[in-house]
Amino acid sequence: MAQTMEGKAGATSQAPPHRRHRRRYNRGAYFYLFPTFLILAIFIYYPIIESFRLSLNRVAPFGGKELFVGFENYTRLLQSADFWNTVKVSLWFMVGTVPVGIGLAVAIAILLSVPLKRLSGIYRTLIFVPVVISSAIAGVLFRLLYNPVVGFFNHWLSLIGVDGPNWLNEQTWALVAVTITVVWRQLGFNVIIALAGIQQIDDNLYEAAKVDGAGVFKRIWHITLPMLTPTLFFLTIVNVIISLQAFGEINILTDGGPGRATTNLVYQVFVDGFVGTHFVGRASAQAFMLAILIIAISFIQFRGLGKRVHYQ
Amino acid sequence: MSTADVTATGDVLGDTEHVEPRGRLSRFGEIPVHISLLIVGLIVAMPIIIALFMSFTPLPEIVGRANPKLLPDTWTLENYDKAWTASPFPRYVLNSFVQTGFITLGQVLFSVLAGYAFAMFDFRFKNALFAMVIGSLIIPFELTFIPNFLLISDLGWANTYQGLVVPFLASAFGVFMLRQFFMSIPRDLYEAAKIDGASDWFYLWRVMVPLSKGAISAFTIFAFLGAWNQYLWPLVITNEESMRTAQIGIRFFLVNQERATDWGAIMAGAMIVMIPTLVVFIVAQRQLVKGIAMSGLKG
Repeated sequence: MAQTMEGKAGATSQAPPHRRHRRRYNRGAYFYLFPTFLILAIFIYYPIIESFRLSLNRVAPFGGKELFVGFENYTRLLQSADFWNTVKVSLWFMVGTVPVGIGLAVAIAILLSVPLKRLSGIYRTLIFVPVVISSAIAGVLFRLLYNPVVGFFNHWLSLIGVDGPNWLNEQTWALVAVTITVVWRQLGFNVIIALAGIQQIDDNLYEAAKVDGAGVFKRIWHITLPMLTPTLFFLTIVNVIISLQAFGEINILTDGGPGRATTNLVYQVFVDGFVGTHFVGRASAQAFMLAILIIAISFIQFRGLGKRVHYQ
Repeated sequence: MSTADVTATGDVLGDTEHVEPRGRLSRFGEIPVHISLLIVGLIVAMPIIIALFMSFTPLPEIVGRANPKLLPDTWTLENYDKAWTASPFPRYVLNSFVQTGFITLGQVLFSVLAGYAFAMFDFRFKNALFAMVIGSLIIPFELTFIPNFLLISDLGWANTYQGLVVPFLASAFGVFMLRQFFMSIPRDLYEAAKIDGASDWFYLWRVMVPLSKGAISAFTIFAFLGAWNQYLWPLVITNEESMRTAQIGIRFFLVNQERATDWGAIMAGAMIVMIPTLVVFIVAQRQLVKGIAMSGLKG
């Protein structure tokens, strides 16, 4: 989604006019496009409509019988405390992951942007590595760390005299535990993006500030961060979307619990659609609402892009 | 040649190790930076480091210790043996390789074809079709996976490789990325080849693809990682043990072994699942990082 705008701009720009008259419509093109569009049509375009249609039906758990009920799934959801709880969990989760994740990433990226004569490759490898880790593996690794007996977190906490919580079995801490895990898995990506943004900043700005006698922290505050706003904006959007879609870590660490403490919207869609009795209509209604939210956020990024172009 | 302009825009992280010092925060001096980065690096990599060492620690040591310890006293391979034999792990890994292999192949091949058409040809509805490809990028999986599940189940493809693979054979991101690259290759080359009587098909495979090895392999890495790390789809579309992928297998292995507090075996299993992606990371780190950085800069 990051590249969307540019793509559109590119698509409309065509060959220079003097050349255009020589180019003809190429019917063969459809042959090259066919496999991609066949797959997209069946597995993306059609499901968008089908998803909405399902959300207007009550779907029998077995045998696939459907009954058209209009917006009943939606109205019931909006009146249900459980639904609002999943919304709340999703939002808390977002509030927990996004600022912390981006703040850490920027701090680390600033450190990494310092030119070093050696070893910088090793630091980068260590810091970037979560980029290739799956949500399932992140869940498994942190499940060990949170374990009250063999886990490391509470052991480390005890070294500084803190009695660690029973991470995965207490309502509040379970959400914190999932938050930490997702922040970790996203960190490599976020640092790479932040670092790329920092390295785009014109060196002369720093030189000028230095001449004016600005210290390191002043330079970070008055140059790095303001110049980085487009990158921060991009990171915020991407991380908000990722946080709204967190699933694997929750499935492995807490299974949505304890109680419903870590059941976010995606998790509820999964539970309604695939666990025990299947409520396909209700699952689709929730999926549709979540999707609209995510698409709306993507569009904000679309529009914000205009500003960033002036920036550079 | 043409690769040069693309790397020029893309190489934001520079030659990671040989970049010219820029004197940005030089007042710090190097030592405190080294110390901070070492600490940060170790903390970030710690979950993986712990898993690695624990996978070599014998079970009695893990449960017998008063406090968790990083290094094993005696090193053992029995955890790997257990993970590999006590559950159908070889089968999980095989399934993952088949699933990932076909998805990667399909995405790369079909993206090369479609990217080529969008980059080189004029045809009716070109802009509309391209907008449709780009538009699909913002469709979140929540919106598609229930109907896809119903469709694949109706086809009788649950618990099959087709069910794991077919919905992901195309990649809008791949089409976009390769189109961008193909457009950077001078069009004169194409015109010249046409005058020499080359067909579009010939030009694609004999000129375009060889010139685009860098971009194509970068996308291959993304496709591989994305497919290997898939979780929600294989979780819902398989319920037979013999068809689980490695990511799903490790979840059930965890659930079974945790009761026995056999964390050594669990971590060995986790290492097995991670190793292909870690190898890709180490071998292709620069390409991977460059690709991600570009996605941010383009915005």
